[in-house]
Amino acid sequence: MKAWMCMNCGWVYDQATGDPMSGIAPGTAWEDVPDDWKCPDCGAEKADFDMEEI
Amino acid sequence: MTVMPKLEDLVDQSFDPFVVEKLSTGDCPDPYPRIHELAARSPVIEGSYRMQFTDVPDAQMGHLPQVMVLGYDAVLHVLTNPEIFRNKEAFAPNLGKSFGNTVTVMDAPEHTRFRKIFQKAFLPQVVAKWGESVVDPVVSRLMENFIHRGEADLIEEFTHHYPFQVIYAQVELDPAQGPTFHKLAIAQLLSSIGLPQGPEASGKLGAFFTELLRQKRANPGPDLISHLANVEADGEKLPDDVLVSFLRQLMNAGGDTTYRGTSVLLTALLTHPDQLAAVIADRSLIPAAIEEALRWEGPVSSTFRYCSVDTEIMGHPIKAGTYINTVLASANRDPEKFPEPDKFDIFRKNTVRNLAFASGPHLCIGQHLARVEMTRALNAILDRMPNLRLDPDKPAPAIIGHLLRVPEHLWVKFDAS
Ligand code: HEM
Ligand SMILES: [Zn+2]
Repeated sequence: MKAWMCMNCGWVYDQATGDPMSGIAPGTAWEDVPDDWKCPDCGAEKADFDMEEI
Repeated sequence: MTVMPKLEDLVDQSFDPFVVEKLSTGDCPDPYPRIHELAARSPVIEGSYRMQFTDVPDAQMGHLPQVMVLGYDAVLHVLTNPEIFRNKEAFAPNLGKSFGNTVTVMDAPEHTRFRKIFQKAFLPQVVAKWGESVVDPVVSRLMENFIHRGEADLIEEFTHHYPFQVIYAQVELDPAQGPTFHKLAIAQLLSSIGLPQGPEASGKLGAFFTELLRQKRANPGPDLISHLANVEADGEKLPDDVLVSFLRQLMNAGGDTTYRGTSVLLTALLTHPDQLAAVIADRSLIPAAIEEALRWEGPVSSTFRYCSVDTEIMGHPIKAGTYINTVLASANRDPEKFPEPDKFDIFRKNTVRNLAFASGPHLCIGQHLARVEMTRALNAILDRMPNLRLDPDKPAPAIIGHLLRVPEHLWVKFDAS
């Protein structure tokens, strides 16, 4: 399975969970996550995420 | 084929860094009542965390202006505002002396650049593969020493060794050099308290790694060192000093912490037999048990940051030049975030994430590896040591220390095989 992963810390974005603490509702597609959103674990930018095999 | 360089022992071979290390982490049985008391008073309190628990002065940092920051929100604020709360000045006088120019002693943009290269070697999908190839054989070899006996001290005979041996396997160290390696790794920390064995150990580890890197650049293999020695970022290889410093840090950042984390996990389960029984009955509870153990008794109680501008934390002014004791243990036992915070309860629901691995740009690089190691260790113990219980004839395990907490012994009985 592939998923969007933070290259600075390894945190994985799970569309089903979203990131409610930062206002990203469960079910939000990666494309719809705003560009100024940050990794909830390490604070890296959305642009620091890559599609990785997990 | 590489010929492993020889690691030189300390000149004074009778010097025992483990004893000195024990003295510096203290024997405080329970720092949490004090932590709760402080956190209830204010999120920002004058003074250092360390001086709450020991009268031994801090030669490195003692004379510097310090505050403690307490509670989940305040701690998270410090960790996630790295432009204000910096690492370089905070760690140069202590860890920087032991390890050299490593990621912990850097800030952006230098940190950002090097961090990504190192993290890449420890991403979840990378370390997942080491579970079977590296961790299982280490765990299994250690267990062979006591599995037939029906009793063991899981600290002395198991947890104190396995994460270090995982690292030795990564650097393909000759097992005969293991004890010297472990000793030097602990001794290098003593630079921060001014003992001559500190720089001696850092120098000897540095010479060993420098030679190893030279060999791995000439004859790369599939191992971690070869990977790090040859990986490029923006067309550049990692500078030797940054890489050697990282490898020095790996022993302590990866070995000492995981040893303590695993010890606490096993202690917590064995002293809460109902929860141990639940995990035995349903292994899918292991991830929750690991997270709860790390929250409840995280191996790293407090870390440092340096406040680089006049600022405030939750309305409390902080002057530029103040050293911030960022008390992770107080965040993880914040009653606002974790109801009944002193209770070990693997069935906690809907909590915020704990800060045992910190947060922000310096978040632990090895967290995914640590989880793989702890999972493999616990599974092997549950598989091969049926009817596991505390030894009723021995003292109950006591987690001690104010900074890096761990029990000294964990005596257990089980059905021998
Ligand atoms: C249960 C085990 C572990 C715990 C509790 C732990 C805890 C931590 C904490 C709290 C930090 C952040 C310190 C700060 O920001 O001031 C950290 C950083 C770090 N950890 Fe771990 N750690 C563990 C295992 C490991 C392992 C297995 C490795 C091996 C790769 C590792 C490598 C590192 C490194 C290199 C850093 C520095 C990261 C940076 O500054 O960017 N840790 N760890
Ligand atoms: Zn991240």
